[in-house]
Parts: sequence; structure tokens; C-alpha cells
Amino acid sequence: MSRIGVFVCHCGENVSRTVDVERVAKEAGEISGVAYSCDYKYMCSDPGQNLLKKAVAEQNLDGVVVAACSPRMHEKTFRKAAAASGLNPYLCDMANIREHCSWVHENREEATAKASDIVKLMVERVKKGKALAPITVPVTKKALVIGGGIAGIQAALDIADSGHQVLLVEREPSIGGHMAQLSETFPTLDCSQCIMTPKMVDVANHPNITLYTFAEIEKVEGYIGNFSVTVRRKARSVDEDKCTGCGICMTKCPKKKIPNDFDQGHGMRTAIYVPFPQAVPNTPVIDRENCTMFQSGNCGVCAKVCGPGAVDFQQEDRITVEAVGAIVVATGFKLYSIDRKPEGSPIQGYGEFGYGTIPDVIDGMTFERLASASGPTGGKILRPSDGREPKQVVFIQCVGSRAREKGISYCSKVCCMYTAKHTMLYHHKVHDGQAYVFYMDARTPGKGYDEFWRRAVEEEEAVYIRGMVSRMYQRGGKIVVMGSDTLVGVQVEIEADLVVLATAVQAQEGADLLAQKLGISYDKYNFYSEAHAKLKPVECATAGIYLAGACQGPKDIPDTVSQASAAAAKVMMLFSKDQMERDPVVAKVNEKYCVGCLACKKVCPYGAVEEKEIRDRQGNLVKVTAYVNPGVCGGCGTCQATCPSKSVELDGYTDEQIMAMIEAL
Amino acid sequence: MHLSNETMNVGFVKKVEALSGTSVRRCFQCGKCSAGCPMAAFMEHPPNRIVRLLQLGQWERVLAGRSIWYCASCETCSTRCPNKVNLASIMDALRKLSWDADGPSKESYVQLANRLFIENIRTYGRQYELRLGAAFNLKSGQFLKDLMLGPKLLARGKLKMFHSKNKNLPEIEAIFSRIEEMRKKGEAL
Amino acid sequence: MTPKKHVLDYSYYPGCSLHASGREYDISTRALFKALNMGLKEVPGWFCCGATPAHNVDELLSLSLCAKNLSLAETVEGDLAVACAACFSRLKTTQHHLKGDEAKRKQVEKAIDGPAALGKPVKHILEILARDFGLARLEGNVKKPLMGLKVACYYGCLLTRPPEVPDLDDCEDPSIMEDILRALGAEPVKWSHRMECCGANFTLSRPGVVLKLSNAILESAQAADADCIMVACPLCHGNLDIRQQGIKEKYAPEVTLMGNIFGSDQKQGNSDGGEPRRETPIFYVTQLAALAMGAPTDKLGLESIIIDPMPLLREKKLL
Repeated sequence: MSRIGVFVCHCGENVSRTVDVERVAKEAGEISGVAYSCDYKYMCSDPGQNLLKKAVAEQNLDGVVVAACSPRMHEKTFRKAAAASGLNPYLCDMANIREHCSWVHENREEATAKASDIVKLMVERVKKGKALAPITVPVTKKALVIGGGIAGIQAALDIADSGHQVLLVEREPSIGGHMAQLSETFPTLDCSQCIMTPKMVDVANHPNITLYTFAEIEKVEGYIGNFSVTVRRKARSVDEDKCTGCGICMTKCPKKKIPNDFDQGHGMRTAIYVPFPQAVPNTPVIDRENCTMFQSGNCGVCAKVCGPGAVDFQQEDRITVEAVGAIVVATGFKLYSIDRKPEGSPIQGYGEFGYGTIPDVIDGMTFERLASASGPTGGKILRPSDGREPKQVVFIQCVGSRAREKGISYCSKVCCMYTAKHTMLYHHKVHDGQAYVFYMDARTPGKGYDEFWRRAVEEEEAVYIRGMVSRMYQRGGKIVVMGSDTLVGVQVEIEADLVVLATAVQAQEGADLLAQKLGISYDKYNFYSEAHAKLKPVECATAGIYLAGACQGPKDIPDTVSQASAAAAKVMMLFSKDQMERDPVVAKVNEKYCVGCLACKKVCPYGAVEEKEIRDRQGNLVKVTAYVNPGVCGGCGTCQATCPSKSVELDGYTDEQIMAMIEAL
Repeated sequence: MHLSNETMNVGFVKKVEALSGTSVRRCFQCGKCSAGCPMAAFMEHPPNRIVRLLQLGQWERVLAGRSIWYCASCETCSTRCPNKVNLASIMDALRKLSWDADGPSKESYVQLANRLFIENIRTYGRQYELRLGAAFNLKSGQFLKDLMLGPKLLARGKLKMFHSKNKNLPEIEAIFSRIEEMRKKGEAL
Repeated sequence: MTPKKHVLDYSYYPGCSLHASGREYDISTRALFKALNMGLKEVPGWFCCGATPAHNVDELLSLSLCAKNLSLAETVEGDLAVACAACFSRLKTTQHHLKGDEAKRKQVEKAIDGPAALGKPVKHILEILARDFGLARLEGNVKKPLMGLKVACYYGCLLTRPPEVPDLDDCEDPSIMEDILRALGAEPVKWSHRMECCGANFTLSRPGVVLKLSNAILESAQAADADCIMVACPLCHGNLDIRQQGIKEKYAPEVTLMGNIFGSDQKQGNSDGGEPRRETPIFYVTQLAALAMGAPTDKLGLESIIIDPMPLLREKKLL
């Protein structure tokens, strides 16, 4: 016979204002199987918990129901208290009479009756409950970091410095990401590459970091602590071990006019190339689509001049399978382009700005490359169309961002700051130039940020115009910008030599495909979803995978580095134990009844169901059944609802328990 | 501007929203509409300010001016608004409310032209352009306006001296009457 | 003799302007359809759609007038061909609004005392030429290619805006007129004011507005070295053609001897002090198309255009 204890919490006034808690406690005491029932003002407080512990001991309770707030608040608290008094924690459950009752109803009579029902339900459930023990899973103490921008670099360095192995996989031929493209960074105007390249070199030299560049993730299997990742290392056509990075191949390559992605298409590179001079690793890559040797079979100059003989035209992609315990996703962002978008796309281009056909209308990153000393113009701000110095530059904020009509409703966070920075860079380089900025708001919340913006306006003489631009068109070699000043209430027309658009920050190319491989959630903009917006900003709902940087949402460098270190800390938390404990509310397959239809496998959102061969003593195959990996199972119960033969049940939510709850009503 | 529950006429704004099928609150005053409006120079309130006044419930200022009558219905504002505020429809709704109130608007010429145009439909079924032009000149006291154009257009057959009534005129009249009835009964705005 | 079966058949809603100040558009449209062997049957008893003035002050009236016209159109076979951009916009807007708003449709049906006929596709002449008939077929039918004619295609407002309603082409960078023009053998120019408003129906009540706005359009066309402007709306045509003289007088007057003697300080040429303003003939798309199809040149309404197009056509040997 059960001996359940029921504790009804007043929750201050939260519950007792609407629910007659004393009556609920009294009615609970009358349920068969309830040996003890009381009410108390604050169950989660120390005295409240002590009350629970005392009752368990003195009344010899074999199950506990705490009728109070949501289990998401205090289930852990009460289970710990129960465990402390010797009761199996999984025989302690919460009846939610706050979020599910007192907070959503007004009528006291009806709310009290409902609360009583809820308590009855949970009592019946606990009566049929089983003692469960936590599941332990081993942990492979090696981390995978996907993405070699500043987020990935920081996370990799932090994890490696704590003594664990890291594999850093980067899609481009070099690490550095977008930060390497920047000229100076706000709010200090530090040279971006100067602060970044030491970290890049650290990554390359760190004994605990294995760096794969020009590589992509093919497949991810497994679960927290035990991932199996297939990585494709694309063929560079250059042997990394032999190459000394001397660069002679690049100087001799006959194909010199290929637009360089690093310079946003405004600079040129050769077919065998490193993306930028400070690339890490400094090993070139052959762009096979543009290489004469690969396209027509003639050339091979680079191979001829290479001293160590590192050029290898026969090189093929290499596939490796790596075992890791945690994954940090740091894949970064891409910039929105105003070009015409395909029919039916939810993202629109900007026809009123020329759909990208006007050569002197550029985006913010292109301006960075113009301003950068290593850029296509050697750091001079020059018009792409005729190479002349622009004397009037118009900067336009919020191009694509905050525009739900154009498909993006969020704010890109970094543009107000970098546009202010651009006006300063422009002013420093073109002393007699005039910068105009069309803006809606100046979003400058960080440390020193607002002062930075005011410096642009007050000292660097940028003219900030509060209003947007309706359209721009070409007239006599200039670009006529038609905007408005909403503070004065007039239309404003400016003949610009150069127009710089602060385009929206979007999720990286292929973000959705990678998310599907990893099994993590992403939102409608393809930014990766954190587990909880406030309290779990670097974890995913999928255990063992962490987020760092702009892949989770638009972000500046300080926040990116913070988040990367936070993700690294989470990884280190995971690696601090040899075994990992998991909640035992997992599904178990009854192999006697299971026919192996594997419907559960199809519906499992975690990929936790495997096939299991049942063999007899002679080794003959008897049947194939489903098997739920307790390390991956998320305890959602979808398999239990799907199984046609009722062969799989969730521990803690068995069919028997659920039927008892229903019948109690 | 003293703002309070009394001075902000939210009811008027709700009527505008119901007539136009769009939300006034969506506007965050970016000014893109005013930037591209071909008529902004002729208005005392550029389009974004009209919406701002509506957001503050200041309907008298909006209806008293000529701004809404100078809107050309070119639809540029609605096309380019980042928040899909249908400003062109809001202008239509404001004009209708002003028209109904026979309001304090200063813009008589445009209202006169609209009135004569609609009268033509009720009288002839199709636009009798000569009559439209002549009646406008007369009623607005600009007898000599476009005087030289008249004969030129007539000579090239671009204006008809006489106009016959459309055979569906009874049906047209019925449409006008039915709408008036519906409004009297409160079945339509 | 039985007439050849038509390649395509359309019902036709000309709109009030086409029977009066825009009659060249009607004449040339009929001539063009005849030349292309497409049927065009006018909807009997059609009446004014209300154009801009109606919806400006009474949307319900506008929707009702259009809905009734659409019902009348149901009596004629074929998709509804519309030439005037304003009528096109109003008829399509009516279909769009009434399809989407159940309450409004009920009001309109009560006003017209009948069901709202929303099924018949309403098509502008441009899409009939470019899509239904097809550019390739159009090009194949050209007898007199308009070689050497540089044309600025003027879209105006209502052909493409707002984006959901006309569904004709991209509202910031359309190409349908240029595509048709190229099929006709002419040369479209790139110019900055092809989507800008001409001043529309302010031509009656506030012509000063039209003078200002249409001036910018004419200036831009001239700056792009266009020989002429092509339009698809009778109101745009009127503003650019009928008022062209007035625009020139206000914004780009010629300095005359008398002016000089009496101390006029008006500068010669355009409002920005550029080269003197040329006369720019304004053509309807159907006039150029019918011309290219070899239709008789006296059946195109060319003589009705105020700014004489004949010298240009003679110069380009297109007559």
C-alpha cells in the first residue's frame, strides 16, 4: 500500500490568493494511498524543504507530491530534498497548481476544484512510479570547433589552454573569418588584423589544437560526450607538409585576374593563392575551376617553380572520422546583398538602390577593404568605377535590417557603430571629403560606444541626417541620392560620389544545412537557436552542442569573444568529469513485444533509436528490434505515442501511469 | 501640443485604420515615404508627418491642411515602406473622412475636380472631358485657364463637343443610391 | 469569305480617356490587334471605372463601379484587355481587394445588387503583347523594324505599383516595355525617371504640379539622348504631350530677341542651364508596335499627337 506525502504550497500569495490551499490539502489527505498531507507558505524555502524531509523520515513515505509552481522551477529542488531524506528522487513529483491553475483562473471555487484534481492526478502517477537511477555516459575529452573566425579561434584557444584537445575545422583556406577583412575596429580603432593575427598564430602553434582548413563537416552522429564527426578535407592541390609558404607559385601563376572574395570581388588574385598575406596556414590552395591546368591540361608552372615540390595536381579530398565529446558551432555570418532575389524568395533585394548594378554603390565590408592597407587600393578610398577619390560619400543605415517588407525584421546590431567608424576612417583619409549618414536611430549601447558615435558627429564632422533614402540613380558620373530629413521635414537630395550601404547581417551561407547535419534548431532567419534566450545563451537544446558568435545572431567583436569563452567554459564543464549523468526519464523498448517496425526511429527527433539484432544462443538472428540509446534519448515520448504495439515506454511516464492519471479525473 | 486621453482622438485613428486596412502604429518614422514622394514639396505636412500626427491622434491638423489633397496616389510610399504601412490607403481614408465632414480643408481645387469627375459618372456614365474642364474653370473662377488648349484638342479630335448618356445609367444611379442607403443605415463606413 | 480565326481573343475595356483625349491609343490598339490577328471586342455598355478621383474620396464607390464593369465584361468572351494604366490598376485592385476581404465583398455585392465577378483575368496591353502573344512571335511579325529609334520607356506609377496588385513586372526595375521595344527593332535607352510620377490627374486641378513633375521626366529623357518617349497610359501621355509646350515655356524657355532687348534674364535652355530643350514626341506603345507591324500609318492616330512626331519618323525613315 502506498504511503504518499502531499505538500500544498501557498507560494506566498501566488497560489493561495485564488486556490483554497487548506481545502486542497485536506482533500488530498482523503485520497487512498496518501499517508500525509499538509499545506505550507513557501515549500521551496529551507524550512519548507526541511518539512518535506522530516515528513519523509517520520511518516515513512514512499512517494512525494509537492503541489506548487511549475516543475521547471523547482523540480530539482524538491527531488534533491527527497534524495537527501533517502527517498528515490524520481518518486517525487510536482503538481503544478500555479501556472496551470491559480495564475490563469479567477473563480476561487472552480480553481480550487481544479487544483484538487491536479493533485489527485499526480498522486495516482506517483503511486505507479518506479525508482530510477541516473544514467551515466562516458565523455570523449576532445572538442570540435566548427568555424575559424574570431569566435572559433577564441573558443579553441580557451579549451586548448585548459588542457583538452581541440579540432578546429574551417571552410575557407585560412582562418580569420570576417574580422580579418576589417580595417580598424570600434570603439578603439585598433587595426583588426594586428590584434587578430597573434591569436591566429597561437592556434596554428598550439600543441592541443589540430587545424583543418579548406575542410567541411560531412556528417555528425552520436550524442553528447560521444560524437562521431566525418570531416572532408578538400584537396588544396598543395601538400601542406612540404609547402614552406614561400609564395613563388603565386608570383608565377599566369591567371592573375580572378576576383578575390576576400576583397569582396574588388581585388584580384591568382589561381593558386592564399586569400590574404597573413593567412594561417600560409599554404596556398588551387582554385580548380579557374586554374588553366585543371581546365585545359596545360600549364603547371607553379609545380615547376616550387622548390620543395609541394604542388600536387593529383591530390584528392580526404575523409576522416573524428571522435569528439563536444561541438562548438562558430560559423559566423554573411552580409545581405541588394541584388535582385529569385522569384518567391522571402528576402527582397533593393531595386530602388539599383539592384547592385551601380558600381559606386558598395556595402560596408567593401568599404573596409578600400580602407584597409592590405586592400585592393592600398588603403586609399577610391571609387570602384573610375578610381577617383570621392569627395561626397553617403552612408545609408538599415539596408535590409528592420524591414519586414524586405524579409528581415531584426536589427543587425553592429551597423550604427561601424558606419560611425567609416565616417571617421573616411575623414582621416580624405580631409576635404564630406560624409553624410542617413539613419533612423543610433544604436550605440556598449562601453564607450555612444561617445564614439558622438565623436564622429562632433569632431569628425560627419553630417547625420535622420531619415531614410527612397531611391538613388546615376546622373553624369554621380549618384543622386533622394532621402528625407524627418527632423526638419524636407526632402534631401545629395549628389554622391560614393554610396556605402550598411547591409543586414544574415546567417552564414549553408547554415541551415549544417544545422540539419548537427540536429540543432534554427530560426526562420537561419540563425541558430539557443536553449534559453536569457539563461542559456550558449547552449543548444541538443545536448553537447554549443554556440559562439554571429551564427547565433548579429554580434560585435566584444560580445562574440565573450560568448566564445562562455561556450568554451561549458565544454570544460562537460570535460571536467569522466562520466556524465543524464536524466533517467528515457524510453525503454520491451524487446519481447517489439516487432521491429521502426516507426519510432522515424519519428524520434533526437535520432536516439537504433536497430538491435536479437540472436539466439547459436548466433542465429531471431529478430530485429528497436533500441533506444539512453545517452541520446531526450525523453519526449513521441516513440511511445507512435508505437503500434505499445512496446516502448518512457520511464516515469509509462502507459500505466498515464492511464491512472486519466482515470483519476 | 498637450497630450492626454482627451486630446488624442484614438477613435478617429481606428476609423482610418478600418477604412484603409493598415496599421498606423507600424510606422517608425523612417521617412522613406517622404523621401520618395513626388508631391512632398507641395504639402505642408510630408507623408511621414501625417502618419506621426495620426499616431498622436491629432486629426484636426491632418484634415485642416492641404497635404492629403496633394497626394497623387502614385503608390511609391506604400511600395517602399519597410513595414508595409499602406500609406496610399491611409491617404484615401483621410480624404474620405474629410470629404464626409465637408471639412475645414483649405484645398478646394482638388476637391472640386474630384467632385465634378464623380458627378460626370452619375450624369453621363463616362467622363465628358470637355464638360469637366469647362465646369472646373467656371466653378473655380479660373475662366482663362488652359484656354488655348481647348481648340487645339478639339481640332485633333481629342475632345468631344457632345456626349451621349451611357445606356447603363440607371444601374449606375442605383449603385450610388444603394451606397448612400448603406451608409445611412450604418452598414458601410 | 470567312475571316481567319483569331490567334487570340480578348474582351476590351477602353476607359473614358481612350474615347476622348487618348483616342490615338484606342485607334492604334485596334489597328495593332488587327495587324496581329487578335480579336478585340469592346464590352457593351461599359462605364467609368472611377479612376483616381473615385477611390481618393470613396473607396466603396470605386470598388462598386469596377465590380459592375467586371460583371459586364463577363458577357464577352476572352480575358479583359485594358489599355489605360489607371483603369487597369482599379480593375485589378478591385479583384485583389474583394478576393481578400470577405466583408468588403459583401458590401460591394450589395451595392451592385449582384455577385462580384472576380474570375476573369484583367490584362494590360503590355502583358498581352509580351506574354500572351509572346516576344518571339511579336518579333516574327515585324514588317518594318524601328531601326535607329531611341526610345525612353516611361512606365509611370500604376502599371507596376503597388507590388501585389498589378503583378505586371518588378516595381523598381521592370523590363516589359523595353523587351517589347527590342522585339520591334528599336533601341530602348537607360534613363533615370522611368518610374517617376508625371502628376497624374492634377492636370485638371493643379497643372503647376504636372509642369514640375513632367519637366523632370522630359529633362531626364533628353539627358539620356532619347528620340522620343513611349507610354502606356493616356494620362501620362497627356501630361507629357499636351502640356509639353507649357513645360518648356516655364522651365526651359528659349531666349528671344524681344526678351533680350527688354532685359529678360531668363537663361536659355533647361532649368539646370543645360542644352536647349528639344521637342520630344510621345508615342503610345501600340502606335509604335502597329507601325512596326506595317499597319497603315494614317490609322495610328499619329496626327492627333500635339508634339508633331512626323519629322522624327520621317528622319528615321519609318513612315
